[in-house]
Amino acid sequence: MTEVPVTRPELGDVSRLDDIIDRDALGEVCRSFFELFGLPIRVISADGNMLANAHADREICGYVNGTLGGRTSCQQTVSAVRRLIPDDEAGTIHACFTGAVYRAVPIRYQGRTLGRFIVGPYLPAETREVPRSLLLVDQRIDATRAREALEEMPRVKVETAERIAAHLRGMLDLILFSGHKAHLTTEMHLLSVRESYRELAEKNSELQRAYDQLQELDRLKSNFLATVSHELRTPLTSILGYSEMLTAGLTGPLTAEQMDFIGTIHNKGELLLKLISSLLDLGKLEQGHLALQIDTLDPVLLLKDLRETVAPVAQKKGIVVEVVAPESPLPPFRADPLRLRQVLGNILDNAIKFTPRGGTVTLAVRPTTLDAGEDGDGFGRALLAVPRTSLEFRVSDTGMGIPEREHEKIFQAFYQVDGTSTREHGGTGLGLSIVKRLVDAHGGHIRIESAPGRGTTFFVTIPEAE
Amino acid sequence: MQLDFQTREITVKLVYYGPALSGKTTNLQAIHHLASPEARGRLMTLETRDDRTLFFDLLPLTFKQGALQVRIKLFTVPGQVMHAATRRLVLQGADGVAFIADSQRAETRANAAAFADLRKNLEENALDITSLPLVIQFNKRDLPDVRTDAELEQLAKLGKEPVFKAVATRGIGVAETFLGLFDLTWAKLEREHGFAAKFGIDATTLHGDIARQLGVGSPGSGSTPPEARR
Repeated sequence: MTEVPVTRPELGDVSRLDDIIDRDALGEVCRSFFELFGLPIRVISADGNMLANAHADREICGYVNGTLGGRTSCQQTVSAVRRLIPDDEAGTIHACFTGAVYRAVPIRYQGRTLGRFIVGPYLPAETREVPRSLLLVDQRIDATRAREALEEMPRVKVETAERIAAHLRGMLDLILFSGHKAHLTTEMHLLSVRESYRELAEKNSELQRAYDQLQELDRLKSNFLATVSHELRTPLTSILGYSEMLTAGLTGPLTAEQMDFIGTIHNKGELLLKLISSLLDLGKLEQGHLALQIDTLDPVLLLKDLRETVAPVAQKKGIVVEVVAPESPLPPFRADPLRLRQVLGNILDNAIKFTPRGGTVTLAVRPTTLDAGEDGDGFGRALLAVPRTSLEFRVSDTGMGIPEREHEKIFQAFYQVDGTSTREHGGTGLGLSIVKRLVDAHGGHIRIESAPGRGTTFFVTIPEAE
Repeated sequence: MQLDFQTREITVKLVYYGPALSGKTTNLQAIHHLASPEARGRLMTLETRDDRTLFFDLLPLTFKQGALQVRIKLFTVPGQVMHAATRRLVLQGADGVAFIADSQRAETRANAAAFADLRKNLEENALDITSLPLVIQFNKRDLPDVRTDAELEQLAKLGKEPVFKAVATRGIGVAETFLGLFDLTWAKLEREHGFAAKFGIDATTLHGDIARQLGVGSPGSGSTPPEARR
């Protein structure tokens, strides 16, 4: 047999009257009872607390308390009544020396006795004479005076007293029940809120843990990317260097076929190097390690220079590359020339790649301003917007276009609008994600206007570096 | 279970669990209706405006056994999924659970989900389902498209718990379910605390007493107490 467990308060359990009763409401009910029937009512909890006391001083009480013996006896009676534990549902009677009586009735709830109420003092209806006990309590008590004083005390028949007690018991039961209900509802509200909070807090910390893990993984991935790219580049540089030396004839003349093979090795090596550099850039950009090297540049010259770079490929495909400069010459512009060149070069490469034979690619630039906080929801723009001198570069092609639903996605790493285009056009799917990050690093922004079959225009706005 | 030596009271907590609208509150209402006035307390329902249980229903029953009082507190849990926290709270310290299932075929999934929920909440309250007194009631036997009696018998054989059939709205099978759960619960408490030896409470007398106060014939006069299967 195991030990009986330590008991603790259970949900829905009531062991103290004070817990579930509203004292003010109880006081009012007792007072209205007192006013209706003229009978004093007291409610006492099981641990002896007086919870309600509706009475008025009786003339007889004032009279006997004016004598020493009367006062002593009165005090004894009152304290005996307060300690009275009724053993009967209908109540236990306690007689006062004045001939009046008190009726103590148990208050039970859910099978438990939580306290008692006391009705009285009142005179039993059959009382005729002034009792000897009253006259004997002090020699100064006068029989005629006592009789007059007793006249004013309410007289109640036994049945009536029992009915009144039963009525009050019924009312108290209702008050207890509704008090208990309100008490429980509040308790459950609190407990439920606490329990829901606990559950949420637990979930939150689980999510936080998962998030921390993911962040750590992300950091590891970037590190891995950077390390691997770096380690790959070193041997690749040797491969490129040695193939260049072979092409330059440092080891003696080569046959045409050997030259062709080495040319292929060199070209593929260059491609691989580009890919690795892209990966390295992406890694750096993700970690936020990329530092811009700000310098002055001539934007129109930059565009013309880009056109020169792609000219051989464009010519081969029969594509015209135009540079449109603003009418008034642009002042020198401060940005990272190398990175800006990388951004525009990448977009230009794509434009040529996706424009069919005979098409046109246009490079343009115009001065503009860019508001800080332009990406927000527009609220407080008047306060937040600080216009900055900027340049808007535009690269338009007459290619196949990009469906609108893809406009956001093309800036994600490794994303290509059409998976088949990788095989047809080459590329890693990293270009535009790097472009986007480089533009972000400048504090600028990039957007597309395009529709399938109607060509694509990339707008790159770069604020001047401070 | 609570034991108060001072007031000589044993309080047993039984919880009615089950999916939303399976008739948990109706079971308590039926027991309240069946129980004699001296045994039953007021049925307290904490419900929302549309009569759905918000926190729980509580029906206290009291049975005198000599100088001792056996108090049984019947609780229902709110069946709606969103009240998960309340269900867990009400389940705290339960001595036994009656799972009220809906007999309609369409409710099979809801029954299963509520049972999974019970399992989870028992676990969270550190209550062991393998030793917790548990009965299953298939309620709403009077509705169309319910599982047949033969099917229920087949299902009852598969499980470990006693299975009862009921139409709670008409009070059918309600007392049997309650007594079935009480017997299992008392048998377990007796094993753990030895009430018979300590307080001289005899399980058969107590069962007979409760059955009589619920208006169910005493053992031997028709209804026999379901055997404790574990």
